[in-house]
Amino acid sequence: MSAIYAFGLLILLAFLGTQFLVRKRTLSALNYLFLSGFVYIFLGLYLGHHGLNILSPQVLEALDPLISLGLGWIGFLFGFQLERKYLRRFSKKAVGLSVLKSLFVFLCVFGMMLLLMMPIFPDQPPYLLFGTALAFALLATVSSPTLLNAACFVLPARGDYFYLARFLTSVSGIWSIVGLSLLFSFWHFPLLETHLIIRGILLLCASTLLPSILGIMFHFLTRKKTSEHEMLVYVLGLVFFVSGAAFYFNLSPLYSSMIMGIVYSNLTRIHEKLYPLLLSTEKPIYIMFLILIGALWNFRFDWNIVILVAVFTFARIIGYTLLLPLCRLLLRYPTPLPPVYGLAFLSFGGIGVAVAVSLKLAYPLELTDVFLSVALLVIIINELLGPKALQKGILTLDSQKKT
Amino acid sequence: MIALAFLFLTMMVLKNSALLPFANPDQSTSIALGFILIFAFLFGKQVERLGLPQITGFILAGILCGPYIFKFLDSEQVVDLQLIDGLALSLIALTAGGEMRLSRLKRRLKAISSLVVFQTVFIVGGFVIFGFIGRNIFPFFSGNTWTQSLAIALLLGTVATATSPSTTIAIITETKSKGKYTDLILSVAVVKDFVVIVLFAFFLSLSSLLYYPDRGFDASFLLHILRDLGGSLLLGALVGGGIILYLKYIKKEMTIFILGIAFFTYQISHSYGFHPLLICLVAGFLVENFSPHGDRLIQSIEKSSLPVFVVFFAISGASLNLDALQNSWMFALICVFLRGLLKFAGTYTGAKLVREEPGLRRYGWTGFISQAGVALGLAVLVEKALPGWEGGFLSLVIAVIAINQIVGPVLLQKLLLKVGEAGAKL
Repeated sequence: MSAIYAFGLLILLAFLGTQFLVRKRTLSALNYLFLSGFVYIFLGLYLGHHGLNILSPQVLEALDPLISLGLGWIGFLFGFQLERKYLRRFSKKAVGLSVLKSLFVFLCVFGMMLLLMMPIFPDQPPYLLFGTALAFALLATVSSPTLLNAACFVLPARGDYFYLARFLTSVSGIWSIVGLSLLFSFWHFPLLETHLIIRGILLLCASTLLPSILGIMFHFLTRKKTSEHEMLVYVLGLVFFVSGAAFYFNLSPLYSSMIMGIVYSNLTRIHEKLYPLLLSTEKPIYIMFLILIGALWNFRFDWNIVILVAVFTFARIIGYTLLLPLCRLLLRYPTPLPPVYGLAFLSFGGIGVAVAVSLKLAYPLELTDVFLSVALLVIIINELLGPKALQKGILTLDSQKKT
Repeated sequence: MIALAFLFLTMMVLKNSALLPFANPDQSTSIALGFILIFAFLFGKQVERLGLPQITGFILAGILCGPYIFKFLDSEQVVDLQLIDGLALSLIALTAGGEMRLSRLKRRLKAISSLVVFQTVFIVGGFVIFGFIGRNIFPFFSGNTWTQSLAIALLLGTVATATSPSTTIAIITETKSKGKYTDLILSVAVVKDFVVIVLFAFFLSLSSLLYYPDRGFDASFLLHILRDLGGSLLLGALVGGGIILYLKYIKKEMTIFILGIAFFTYQISHSYGFHPLLICLVAGFLVENFSPHGDRLIQSIEKSSLPVFVVFFAISGASLNLDALQNSWMFALICVFLRGLLKFAGTYTGAKLVREEPGLRRYGWTGFISQAGVALGLAVLVEKALPGWEGGFLSLVIAVIAINQIVGPVLLQKLLLKVGEAGAKL
């Protein structure tokens, strides 16, 4: 009977989704929750063992490949966008700003989370706390351009601040994904404490080399006339294969598929043919992924989690806002970067969820359970805060500049 | 070819035991799925160059990568992937239902019923006679009384009657076939599946009585059949109604919706013992014939059907038990040959009686050779129903399916080409 309820619920959500997914003149928190698809995390939570138990742990185990596909897809799409032609349009200073901004947020969150976790989890070994704090910090550096793209249709005032923010958010994932791959390689599960450097280097090379070769292979396979259906088989197959291989060796599926995406994107000349296919397939895979993540979420409420969520959110906002003028100072960036501008970077987007869940899947530990709970709560809170924060920050700045 | 060889070598390296300390064997399903998807597809393309259907290539790739030859997929992974298999089956059945137009069915009702009836009668009857004659010749029947041999032959005949609608649909899609032969073959395959399921439930109870005379006749099976079929039909109608409403009022995110339908249908049928194939068939049929949205439904499914077909057939290849084939290939070949002969006789007689064209009489049987999931499912039920008999019914049926599933798609493709209904350049 529960399956029938769930089915009805899915239809209802789809119906509500169609009502909210229509681009409107105002971008409210609820509107954006549907637009970004995050509402499906709640559906997954309800379908999982906390609710109807349709997506029971056994079913989830069988659906593991779909989670792997979701992660791989996000990574591949992200990498596919990193085309030289696009990146060259931005100045070196903008790239530097992206690195420095991420570094400051990283350090700020890492320090605060490590200090906080030590008294909260006194029984956990220090290397685990260290690793988890690193993961929190890496997650904090992620910000997504989805909200900015959604805002495009809401407010007409789009100037330098808007385009800079779009660039910064569209590349911010790189640092997090690369950092994650370093973490996965040098801190390889289950041999966490024997983090040998040579082994780490080998694993990092493997997780770079295999997807690079497969990206080249993909290019050769699609060089001649390829139908859309065939293209779909190649993309799905290769993404499954690359992210599956990464999973199999406890490496980062996001990183490997991102590398494949970058290599392919910079070799192929059929972007305009592949983009519509990728975009039309993206939504179903992404929604499926969010539902599965919701079901996988071992949701629990305790004060430790509340404190961690609050501190993480606070540290991240501090990192993005107060440290931004410092970045400008260090880089001598020509445009003024007031702290309020940092509010444009709050939204995590799909990459945030992917980073959070890939860690949980690669390190099946009690602490990563806490990590996933905190991460998902922070992500949802930030997605809710995002639209207002964006309007307060960037769009106001651009309007001021225009007037 | 280079890509195929590269993938193969990569997988050999990745699965090498020297890398095991770095690996997490619990997370090996995704890599296996990715590999099988792309490897089977490339293999299918190579096989197509030889003039064979791609599906044969997918199945052969599955056999090669499965648990008996290169072991890239182990038995556990094959079981794990059966959930995706279930999703694929639901999608295939939705397509099948959506392809069945009531107007066309009405026009060819006589031909469809005649072919279904005569194929069923000839095959079941033929296998019963074979059981009698072969009782003292083949070890398969040894140690049984004549009533027990009759029971086994009856069940063997029923299972042999089944054709795989999913393979039929896949070949029709691959060859882009359209026309009266195509319609007839698909309709007969689908209707026959329905008849076989009903008939099987009846013969299973009868055979149980023949095999174990002291058990007595259990009429409760009739209630079970009614419940299962009635429930499946009702649920199919509900799902079909849901799809029509969705297509009318919501219209968006069709892929997600269709995947949701496939998943929940599979879940519901799994929990209540309904037939997912029948549910989706009815749903597709309703959408096609009682709403103007049939084409949209088919288009939405077709958009993503190729990867589904590749995985489905590759996994069905990987799950073929080659040990069983090795042990009983001689007897299996005899059964395959006999089945083919009886299919020919049944199709010829059925077609002649309703005055169908000579082409259908002579070659129509080649469209009904392939066998897959339904036959396998029925064989599993036979093993459970006759626990005392150690003749290896399941192994024999698996071996027969393995041969038919390799030969069947090739024959169907040749038939569609011969009658000029294949639209794709092959």
